[in-house]
Amino acid sequence: MTDDEKFFAWLDGELGSAEAAEMEAKVAADPELAGLAEQHRKLGSRIRGAFDPIVSAHVPERLQNAVRPPAEVIDFAARKRTLRFASIPQWAALAATLAVGVLLGTLVPHGGGSPVEVEGGKIYAAAALNQALDTELASAPAGKVRIGLTFRDQAGEICRSFTQSASSGLACRRQGRWELEGLFAAPEAQRSDYRMAAGMDPNLAALVDSTMTGEPFDAATEKQAKSRGWK
Amino acid sequence: MDQSSSFEDQLAGLLPRLRRFAHALSRNSADADDLTQATIERALRSRGQWQPGTRLDSWSYRIMRNLWIDMTRSQARRTAREAPEEEGLNVGEDRRDAMDAAVDLHRIMDAMARLPDEQREVVALILVEGFGYREVSEMLGLPIGTVSSRLVRGRSALLAMVGEQ
Repeated sequence: MTDDEKFFAWLDGELGSAEAAEMEAKVAADPELAGLAEQHRKLGSRIRGAFDPIVSAHVPERLQNAVRPPAEVIDFAARKRTLRFASIPQWAALAATLAVGVLLGTLVPHGGGSPVEVEGGKIYAAAALNQALDTELASAPAGKVRIGLTFRDQAGEICRSFTQSASSGLACRRQGRWELEGLFAAPEAQRSDYRMAAGMDPNLAALVDSTMTGEPFDAATEKQAKSRGWK
Repeated sequence: MDQSSSFEDQLAGLLPRLRRFAHALSRNSADADDLTQATIERALRSRGQWQPGTRLDSWSYRIMRNLWIDMTRSQARRTAREAPEEEGLNVGEDRRDAMDAAVDLHRIMDAMARLPDEQREVVALILVEGFGYREVSEMLGLPIGTVSSRLVRGRSALLAMVGEQ
């Protein structure tokens, strides 16, 4: 270690006690060295101080989201496309059933019916979820399933986003039934108050964006659509 | 608590410090946050390589440092040399404090950016992040004497640049 290095190691508290005492005495006896020590102490605290605000500043959303992706995605539309391409519908139906079972199994009251039905590789709302999509209004939330947006898709059919406990999804009207277009479950770590404050799941928001034509229904239009049987 | 959520929680807890280290390495805030994001993504992908029970901070800092080296190399290839941009920094709650802090941060970042990379990383880890010489020597895979001599040169150059302001 050169004398310079030893001096700075002392300044940084890196020397053993014997060496530190030796350097201490040397600095005390040398005004020039003492001045340098003072300058570097100031520089050190100035550098630390300059970067300190970053530690206390709000961490940008995009970085927070990078650590905890807002949701695991189960996009049935994409899954159906892939599987249709691979043409193994039985597997699709099975996988979808399992996924939905795992997702919604924990979300419905025990003893209640399954909230979904699988038919021909498609997933339809059933029981409480179906009923909520049929009857609930975003403007008058009542049950455990909360309706978010109601709007028309490119085919002119009505779609409704919903949230139930830690999962949220989108269902669209197909031949008189509510077909699930996507279902998103928050990762385990986020199934708490955090989600409540976080607003719409970004993955659901993206699905809604890509599905919606025009504006979402206002309260009056939503009510009217309900009275017309969501046609 | 399961392992995966604990890993993410710990990484989330490190975010402010990782951002600070990124600012100490980068020329501006935008680059620093890009570097932070790349580090998080790499850390999540490589989580299998982290051994629970060892320090996640040193491990993440090492990832950031390696990414930064890759980035500066590719930047150096792309652009010969451009002046650091003026920028607005969002670093504090109170406007005026934030302005003062931003000015000094900007000045210090400018000065740090003029240090050779190998001095800058040592200065950032020891003077900004507060790691010890030995920790840094292990983190960077360098002999402790090399760390110490780079630190001497780096901080002396910094003092010459900003000492009188």
